[in-house]
Amino acid sequence: MIIRMRFWLILLTISSAALAQDAGATHADWPHYGGTQFSWRYSALDQINTSNVKALTPAWLFQTGDYAENLQATPIVEAGVMYLITARARVFALDAATGREIWNYRYPEPGRSVPGFVGSRGLAIGDGKVFFGTKDNYMVALDQKTGRLLWKVSVDDVQQCGCNITAAPLVARDKVIVGGSGGDGAHRGYLTAFSTKTGRLAWRWYVIPGPGEKGNETWKGDSWRFGGGAPWLTGSYDPALNLVYWGTGNAAADFYDAERVPTGADKSKDINLYTASVVALDGDTGKLRWYHQEIHDDVWDFDSAYEVLLIDREIRGRMRQTLVHMNKSGLTSVLDRTTGELLKVFSVPEVQNWITGVTEDGKLVGRVEPQLGKTTTLCPTAAGAKSWNSMAYSPRTGFLYVPVNELCTDLTPNNTSPAEGQNYMNGEFPVHLPPGRTTYSHVDAWDPMTGKLAWKVPYKYLLLASMLATAGDLVFTGNPEGEFYALDAKSGNKLWSYQTGAGHRGGAASYAVNGRQYIATSTGWHSSVVGALAQSLFPDQDWRLGSTLVVFALPEGSR
Amino acid sequence: MRRPLLLLFVPLLGWSQSLQDALKRGEQVFSQSCATGYCHGVKGGPSGAPRLAGRGFNQAHITNVVVSGVAGTGMRSFATVLSKPDLAAVIAYVASLNGVANPRISSGDEEAEAASGSKLTGEAARGAQLFKEAVRSFGRCSTCHEVGGLGISVASPIARVPDSAAALKALATPNVKTGIMNGESMPVLVLSEGKQGTLFYDLTSTPPVERNAEPGAVKFSDGSSWRHASVIGAYNDQELAAILEYLRAVVK
Repeated sequence: MIIRMRFWLILLTISSAALAQDAGATHADWPHYGGTQFSWRYSALDQINTSNVKALTPAWLFQTGDYAENLQATPIVEAGVMYLITARARVFALDAATGREIWNYRYPEPGRSVPGFVGSRGLAIGDGKVFFGTKDNYMVALDQKTGRLLWKVSVDDVQQCGCNITAAPLVARDKVIVGGSGGDGAHRGYLTAFSTKTGRLAWRWYVIPGPGEKGNETWKGDSWRFGGGAPWLTGSYDPALNLVYWGTGNAAADFYDAERVPTGADKSKDINLYTASVVALDGDTGKLRWYHQEIHDDVWDFDSAYEVLLIDREIRGRMRQTLVHMNKSGLTSVLDRTTGELLKVFSVPEVQNWITGVTEDGKLVGRVEPQLGKTTTLCPTAAGAKSWNSMAYSPRTGFLYVPVNELCTDLTPNNTSPAEGQNYMNGEFPVHLPPGRTTYSHVDAWDPMTGKLAWKVPYKYLLLASMLATAGDLVFTGNPEGEFYALDAKSGNKLWSYQTGAGHRGGAASYAVNGRQYIATSTGWHSSVVGALAQSLFPDQDWRLGSTLVVFALPEGSR
Repeated sequence: MRRPLLLLFVPLLGWSQSLQDALKRGEQVFSQSCATGYCHGVKGGPSGAPRLAGRGFNQAHITNVVVSGVAGTGMRSFATVLSKPDLAAVIAYVASLNGVANPRISSGDEEAEAASGSKLTGEAARGAQLFKEAVRSFGRCSTCHEVGGLGISVASPIARVPDSAAALKALATPNVKTGIMNGESMPVLVLSEGKQGTLFYDLTSTPPVERNAEPGAVKFSDGSSWRHASVIGAYNDQELAAILEYLRAVVK
């Protein structure tokens, strides 16, 4: 009896693992921001592989003409059509084999100036529609076939909240879910879900619980009202569990905590929930199922807003449905995604002094607390041990591929009162290069289940583009100098590179049309925020702006 | 003879709003557009981008940088990013951080000031806050009403302020019609009907959704089951009275 049960258990484990593996990989299409709803940025296509990648050549390119803030989006591909959005929300449908324009839609420039960031990291498709958020805080749906406007709805008043939408939305069943920016200001972050069909509100989940709700007691006085936490990137979705996973932003004020932490709070326990956390929400209702706070009382602007990878893997001899998530500090957690149980935590940057370590159960050891009015040198920085650009995961190697940056800051907290929608960082934090180094970034391959580094490839400047992994055992990314390149997924050896002419800050995708595999990447350096910061650290460099999608394939007839 | 006259008029127009108010607005704009994220620090302090306070910049230089940007750096041109009053206010504000005693203001932004309710007192001030209070999420007035530049202008501008909370709840809304699309009936506010299609707000739930139907795909009839009372339930009568007090103070 026991033997038979084991047999069924093993069978069940294997089949669910195979299913999950399939759910995480893309095939001919690249339907979501992170590839699939599991956010691996991994393509099962292997026509382009380690043996022939040297022959990879541009197949076509597309100039968007929107050079104001350059191209950060990851393209989406379905049934041979590519969908692309620019910083100022010009949306294009292109023939994915040739680049021929099928339709375009130009979102009207807001009549009034809007605060906050300008940029778009991507769009979403589903229910025959194309969805995107705007800098004046609208969610917009277009007809996927024609580009015709179908509906738009105001998510919040941009003038008041100081927040807007730069992230790609996530489609989960009949809903489209979107997060916003604004968490460095006096604002209370949230996720909002709309019906894909009608645009009507489905649910809203506030990152910070209101009075009477569990978790509100982790805030001092009224500080929850302007406590930040904005989930400004794109989450993931497990259809089988019907759970939406999202990372939340830092608490505000970012660098000075005396106004938001209850007196006498234990910093080894949850503080300022649910900021700097990974949360699991019910897809239908938006109700919180579980949470895991990665940084209790974040005083370093270490968001947890980054991507969430859903991976089924064996860990310590047991098959688990996990999720893998990196905090801005480079602390990386592996959780059971059904319960939120912490299974593993490790740290990726080489230069690190904000803590001396982390315990197996996720407790920070030796926290360095910034002091009001005093300057403390801290590494890594608010710019991130990794920036917002996504890592990738290959089920063939079992490695995460991560672009890691090594930076430090001289942080001086101050104390100003919050004014709704206005900057509430409460600190000055000029970023600088750590001394005694000649390289300031690296592409890493980590086994998340053991927390062991397999290989790393150092680079002299910073890396701010997303990673793409493929079943051809290749890892693609680009650098600020304009080089787009392929590494051997097993060894990190550089196998191919191409100078695209402008710096890389976007995301690459792989897809196939009529049996031909393509690798598409956004190009064009970004002149604001972290892009400008990176440039200022290397004043002799002149990383070129632009807004061009470049698509590569093996030469016709060579396959 | 005409030239001196013109020169006289320019500063007169410029100083129609007090310098102090413009600088206050400038500080707001600076906080929202310049001290964001990883750029300049609060009040012109250093951050990702250089310090701007106490650098000895004159107003002409500041204007040039704000309007043209600085090539090869993260400092972009704000000429088309900011409204003209905001541009003037933020330039004056940065000038004030550099010890310019009497910075020039080309125009004021009375609209933003009115909306902020900063000059209001008592119940009207409380009403201004309630009108747009974020904690009420989509239940706040500003979900559908724009007053003085704040809020989303779904409804027509408020022209007449009801006398009481009861009157506010019983408000006649003849513009709200009933639309039928794909067999579904919904309360709607029609924006435009034309050859390109029909643009309307779907008022089934809050926030209202602007929808674009194919020509002829939606049919309208007068009257609807929609009631103003059903969307202002987030407020009690006292709060509604305060909001009316605010509207009386700012709606001309």
